[in-house]
Amino acid sequence: MADLLFYLMAALATVAGVGVVVARSPVISVVSLLASFGALAVIYLLAGYQFLAAIQILVYGGAVMVLFLFTVMLLNLGDPDVTSGQTEPLFHGSRRSLIGLCTATVMGAAGLVAVLRVAWNEMPSVLAIPEGGLDPLDQLAAQMFTRYSLPFEAASVLLLATAVGVLVIAKRNRPGEKAFPSRAVAAEAAPTAPAAPQPASKPLPEPGPEPEEVLS
Amino acid sequence: MNSLWLIPALPFVGSVVCGILHALTLKARKANPEAHGPSALAGFVAMGAIGAACVFALQAFFAIRGDTTSVVSDPWAWIPIDGTNTANVAMLVDRLSGAMALVVTGVGLLIHVYASSYMKGDPGYAKFFAYLNLFVAMMLILILSSSLVGTFVGWEGVGLCSYLLIGFWYDKQDGWPAVAGQKAFVMNRIGDASFLLGMFLLFTQLGVGFDYSAINEAAASRAGGADNGMLALAALLLFGGACGKSAQLPLSTWLPDAMAGPTPVSALIHAATMVTSGIYLVIRLNPLYAMAPDVMYVIAVVGALTAFFAASSALVQRDLKGVLAYSTVSQLGYMFLALGTGAWVAALFHVITHAFFKALLFLGAGSVIHGMHEEQDMHKMGGLRRHMPRTFATFIAGAAALSGLPLLSGFFSKDEILAQVFLQGGPMYLLWGLGVVTAMLTAFYTWRMVALTFFGPERFDVDRVHPHESPPLMTVPLMILAVLSVIGGVMGLPHVVGHLFHVPHYLHDWLEPVTRAGDQILHRGPAPHLADSTEWLLLGFASLIAFAMAHRGFHTHKHGLIGEETMQAKHPAAAGVLSKAWGLDEAYQKAIVAPFKLLAVFIAVVIDQLGIDGAVNAVGRSAQAAGTKLKRFSDGSIAGYGLWMGAGAAVLALVLTWMGA
Amino acid sequence: MSVPTEHLLGLAAILFAIGMAGFLTRRNLIVVLMSIELMLNAANLTLVAGARMHSKVDELSLAGPILAIFVIAVAAVEAAVGLALVIALYRRKQTVSLDAVSELRD
Repeated sequence: MADLLFYLMAALATVAGVGVVVARSPVISVVSLLASFGALAVIYLLAGYQFLAAIQILVYGGAVMVLFLFTVMLLNLGDPDVTSGQTEPLFHGSRRSLIGLCTATVMGAAGLVAVLRVAWNEMPSVLAIPEGGLDPLDQLAAQMFTRYSLPFEAASVLLLATAVGVLVIAKRNRPGEKAFPSRAVAAEAAPTAPAAPQPASKPLPEPGPEPEEVLS
Repeated sequence: MNSLWLIPALPFVGSVVCGILHALTLKARKANPEAHGPSALAGFVAMGAIGAACVFALQAFFAIRGDTTSVVSDPWAWIPIDGTNTANVAMLVDRLSGAMALVVTGVGLLIHVYASSYMKGDPGYAKFFAYLNLFVAMMLILILSSSLVGTFVGWEGVGLCSYLLIGFWYDKQDGWPAVAGQKAFVMNRIGDASFLLGMFLLFTQLGVGFDYSAINEAAASRAGGADNGMLALAALLLFGGACGKSAQLPLSTWLPDAMAGPTPVSALIHAATMVTSGIYLVIRLNPLYAMAPDVMYVIAVVGALTAFFAASSALVQRDLKGVLAYSTVSQLGYMFLALGTGAWVAALFHVITHAFFKALLFLGAGSVIHGMHEEQDMHKMGGLRRHMPRTFATFIAGAAALSGLPLLSGFFSKDEILAQVFLQGGPMYLLWGLGVVTAMLTAFYTWRMVALTFFGPERFDVDRVHPHESPPLMTVPLMILAVLSVIGGVMGLPHVVGHLFHVPHYLHDWLEPVTRAGDQILHRGPAPHLADSTEWLLLGFASLIAFAMAHRGFHTHKHGLIGEETMQAKHPAAAGVLSKAWGLDEAYQKAIVAPFKLLAVFIAVVIDQLGIDGAVNAVGRSAQAAGTKLKRFSDGSIAGYGLWMGAGAAVLALVLTWMGA
Repeated sequence: MSVPTEHLLGLAAILFAIGMAGFLTRRNLIVVLMSIELMLNAANLTLVAGARMHSKVDELSLAGPILAIFVIAVAAVEAAVGLALVIALYRRKQTVSLDAVSELRD
């Protein structure tokens, strides 16, 4: 039963992954990705990693994917025809796309060959999942805050830096403010008319919520 | 006795203070270009420093009378060489360096006093005294050092100061003084290289370090032994250094050009002190030279040839200072002639008297040039005795001493040299003959100079030039030097004359502790004497030729330029050759400078521009070409970068899979 | 679940290749970012598979899941920064196409 579920979820993850890549509308891509992540979460759960599965759903499904969806909606990209007025090609030029596809195929093939080449039967057999799963929270936490405390702190610093950096990058330039991130725009705009709106910027419908707010 | 260090240290401090004053002056001048700032103080500072050094030198001088023949300061171990040897530097005052230090500080003081007036109003007044004081400090280090290493420091120091002071007016006369300074520096470098090589060779041969006492002792102990060739070579190399510093052939050409410097500089550095350091060095190392008779011959021949060469060149010079410059080279040649015959005392005697009368003549010439508004051409002078009587009178005293008129200082010192050469006999008679001819030429050109400058019609533009006597600050040093020039001979009266008045040869007795070792090697017994009659004869002969040639030189030229024009008309070729100093300069230009420039051009164009630059450019161009080829990979397209990255990762994955990792 | 490890790893390889294909061929910057997320998840899956393989009942291998958690954190960070850049890009050029950004060329 569980094995069947695994293969079902594996198929779902694969199909959804392909959907992400080939969908015309970014919204469909986002939803496909969400499906793929969900399938992976189920696989984690089946493999005995309960906490990881929860994190997968919470962080990926709840935060990251919402962030993606939010950006797509914010930039009004749901229907490409609306934004540009004409249908843009989804992929790069045929030559480049072909090379990219070949490269990816080689990569995947290499991975599969590597998997096949290993003598797996010499590996320890799959064990039965204990009651607390393979990542019991108490042991996980004990490891995380003792042996892995330094990476943990580093990750927290990274998150803080990201919060600040994203704030700066995505900040909307109000009239008269120094433009960011482009110095070129600032150089063009500042001497002539500081009060003029940014020539290249289309005002957004409303001040966008800062992405890191969604994250936190 | 550590106060000996004060003798060179005081002028050095004076130099630093003067330098600071110059810096302050420059600062003041930034605000107001006409400002003099505190530069006027520099003269007093410099004079005070030299005066104080003179006092200490006197104190040291009085400490070495009687049985004490030398005092030495605590040595400072400067460079440890190996387990046993250390290059020490100490201040040594003995009979030789004490006398030299007195001359340097005494004459230096007079010249400083003179210069404080002569240089008045010059924008570089304080700088001048900073250089001049530094020179005196370095000269004192040269003289007072107890080791070759210390002497070499002073040797280089005075060379530097000479360069700085010759080029002091580097922005005048189309930069000629700067060129002259460079020439002096380069010529001196050649000699200095020789000095260094000699020093090293001496170290390896004797292995007793660099202290003079040790070197002399070791050299004396090897006298007469076989296998002294390398030691003789070291002596010869050191003499090469002396040649450079003392402007002997073949390194003599820089000294006449050194007259581009201010006149007090010519008097102090290029007549009285620095140029005699070569003689000092040879006297200092007299046992080393005494045991190398071949080198002594070389020295004597070089000296005699230089004396003749320079004296003949002086005959036709039109530049007042030019005559004096060639005269200086000539007199230095005499000194080396004396050294070559082992007459150390005679050489030092002539150094001292020459310092008096040549400084006097230079300062007198400076006074004339000053009064003539910077005119140096004797053809544009004449009749100046009425305008500058004090300068005239003192100049006559100096000229009489230089030309060797009887009873003056130059007469006795030059006569002693010639008598010593005569005493050697054999092939030395030739050199004696050359010396006598040189003495005749000397008397001639000296009085030609006097006649052209002070007698005859006034050949300058009377409306424009108003010759005037110089202020007392300049004439008083002249008078003191004149007195010294006249009576200076007393310190070394000839044997026969001294007998008459029961006066010994003071200088001979004084210097005996220094020259004893060398004399013992040379004579192995009491020094030979000329017979009294011979000595009288030589004295009379010298007086006669001095008077005759002085008379000739004076009367040919006392009526203006007629004598000059007759000479030009009769012997145009000779006059041409002599006025170019036998074409030595041109020969150097053709034989050394021109090929060297050619080589420089070759290196600059072929090796540097084509070879090295070519290689560098080729590297640059290849990088550029590679960049041109590679830049399409860096086209700014993120997808392109991603593709390359992905391709790299795929290749890596393939490789890892292949290896079975 | 008694699925052998190699099947988990094979799934990871396939997902990674799909993500990579999207990363290399799509023009839409947001989709490219999503492809990257897909690849990161594939990596996570290998970590989980490895940890599961090496775990024993009395001695669980926790390095895998912990590393996976860190990967998730970094992926979130990457998504936030990437999307902020997308927004900044859109403000300037009114597009999210990769073709629009080639300033690095100069």
